[in-house]
Amino acid sequence: MNSLSTYLIISALLFSLGLLGILQRRNLIGMLIAVELLLNSANLNFMAFNRFLTPDPVVGQVIALFVMGLAAAEAAIGLSIILALYRKMHSINIERAQRLKG
Amino acid sequence: MGAFFTDPILLATVLGTNLPFLSMVAILIFTRSNPKLSCRISVGAIAFAAVCAVFLLAKLYSASPLQYQTLWLNSGRLNIAFGYYLDPLSLLMLTIVGVVSCLVQIYSLGYMAGDPGYSRYFAFQSLFAWAMMNMVIAGSMLQLFIFWEMVGLASYFLIGFYYEKWSASQAGKKAFVMNRVGDVGFFLGLIWLVIGFGNLGIPELNHAASTQGLPQNLLTVSALLIFCGVVGKSAQFPLLTWLPDAMEGPTPVSALLHSATMVAAGVYMFSRIFPFFAASPDAMAIALAIGTVTMLLSSTMAMVTYDLKQVWAYSTVSQLGMMVMALAAGGYFAGVYHLTTHAGFKALLFLCSGIFIHEFHTNDMRIIGKQGGRKLKIPMVCIAVGALALSGVYPFSGFFSKEAILGVLAAQPNKIWLAAGFFGAVLTAYYSFRLIFHILLPKGGVEGKPHDGHAESAHEHEDEHHGYIFWAMAIPVMILACVSLVLGFLEQPIEHFLLHAVQAHPVQHVSEHGGGGSDWLLIMGVSAGLFGIAVAWFEYGRKGASRNGFLSYFPAIWKLFDCRWFIDIFYRKSLDTFVYGGLTSLFTKNDRRVIDGGIDGICFFTEGSGRVFSFLQSGMLQYNLLIMVLAAGAAVLYFLI
Repeated sequence: MNSLSTYLIISALLFSLGLLGILQRRNLIGMLIAVELLLNSANLNFMAFNRFLTPDPVVGQVIALFVMGLAAAEAAIGLSIILALYRKMHSINIERAQRLKG
Repeated sequence: MGAFFTDPILLATVLGTNLPFLSMVAILIFTRSNPKLSCRISVGAIAFAAVCAVFLLAKLYSASPLQYQTLWLNSGRLNIAFGYYLDPLSLLMLTIVGVVSCLVQIYSLGYMAGDPGYSRYFAFQSLFAWAMMNMVIAGSMLQLFIFWEMVGLASYFLIGFYYEKWSASQAGKKAFVMNRVGDVGFFLGLIWLVIGFGNLGIPELNHAASTQGLPQNLLTVSALLIFCGVVGKSAQFPLLTWLPDAMEGPTPVSALLHSATMVAAGVYMFSRIFPFFAASPDAMAIALAIGTVTMLLSSTMAMVTYDLKQVWAYSTVSQLGMMVMALAAGGYFAGVYHLTTHAGFKALLFLCSGIFIHEFHTNDMRIIGKQGGRKLKIPMVCIAVGALALSGVYPFSGFFSKEAILGVLAAQPNKIWLAAGFFGAVLTAYYSFRLIFHILLPKGGVEGKPHDGHAESAHEHEDEHHGYIFWAMAIPVMILACVSLVLGFLEQPIEHFLLHAVQAHPVQHVSEHGGGGSDWLLIMGVSAGLFGIAVAWFEYGRKGASRNGFLSYFPAIWKLFDCRWFIDIFYRKSLDTFVYGGLTSLFTKNDRRVIDGGIDGICFFTEGSGRVFSFLQSGMLQYNLLIMVLAAGAAVLYFLI
């Protein structure tokens, strides 16, 4: 169980779930959560490769930390965009945002 | 640096000429809100500068020309030096500028008292004096040009001093723009010289010109272009209309502008590189014609105006025309000497007029006469002295310099110039005494007792204050009146002093007559002046005179003179037609059609193409994402297999 492939499989599953969520959900908050799933699956990949393949223990962890920070920033921006959209259209349904195409 | 402190001449030059600038900086930055301190700083600086100038004149009276310079710009054949050139001409002019500026500033203490812009006024006066002094002792034409422009800038500030008055700010602008027209020519001439000769040092230039070191066509073209600068600055024929409008400034400014600085700068520059001009007969002939036309035109204008300052303004233009005539006819000494005497008596005339204007709050000579202008004894006597000097009556300074000029003109082969000179002398005497008689012997005597009583009570009311103001204005006037009396008898020393230097640089054209050459000329000159005065007496002075002037029988000519020969109207019309109607409308069209249209077109194209391409997408974010993921998957598959 404690091998690289296990982690990779879990990570692939997470990624697929995230992809599914982002493609299928019409709720913007749901899409944001799905994006977090994608990022976390990537994080898991980094950690796994770091643990099993590289001698230097730090690199993967540092990148994972960066990704977390990025995720926080992304969540903040995403949420504020959603708020702005909600104020404008009184809904957080992605289909309503079609009006933005001009 | 050691030489700087051990050489008193250099020290006096640098300190004396730059102290006014320091005082301007100090006033503008530190003491603007303290008028008392500002005027003390300014007057102190200019008084020191005047003392330095006199010291230099005394020290270098019999020395050969002195030059301090450092190389400023050196590139290939081009050499531009920066420094001071102290020869008799610049020393004489430096003294005139220093002394007249000093007297005018002392006078301003009284004239400008209580003005809200008191500090600003003295700051600009200092700037003016600084620029003019540095221009006078400049060692190269480029340096002269730089300070020449500074003089123009300072005069712009001072003419438009009452900037809240529309006509004043317009007059300032007009002076500035008309000067630019001439200066463009001046600068092109300098560029032409740099290309052809490669050196702008004044002594080098004069030396090369007088020893045939310059090709004739280069010389003529550049001399004519540089003469454009003289035309602009000294208000010669095509550009003469800015000077009468410059009256909008305070009266002491007019005095300074018309005597020692600004307009004198043009004539000074002409005499500065006199050997250079003299080497080109064509340029000299054109300058002679322009000087003559200017002198006659502006004399006729002065015959019809009733504005006190305007009469003197026109007379300045005509006297400048006379100086240009003298110089262009080859009379180096006559021109410079007339510049010297003119600086004295014209400052005197303006400062006296300033006292009248300050007292009666009007510029109209008829009203001043009616309200008892002659009761102000000191300015009345002084203005009469100035007018006598201007008309060229014997013991006064104008007589000597005018004789010198007529002597030079008589030496010309074509006698028409001499006739024009005599005619100008008659007109000059006529218009100056028309003014004097208007004030001295007003029509129907002095009237307006209530006015007088009112003035009298006001006089007592602010007695102490008024006394200080009156004497601050009267003392410079009296000094200048004495100068106008004495200067005429200094002709021989000044001539010796100036020509001593010309002999150092051999000049071919100088043919001086020195006034005493021929008796008939002397008699003609005096009688021309007396004839003008007699005509003025007949029309304005004697009992029962009409006081209209003979020109009032010819309304068309009166109108022509009164409208300044329609020169301003012509400029206005041609500006409207050619500049505003032609050039500006072309530029406007270019701006509207080409530039605005181009940018609008680009915007329209971008927007339109955006609209077209927006049909390609649905705006559904998730379809886009799906396509993206599928494409990425396809790419992964492609690379893996």
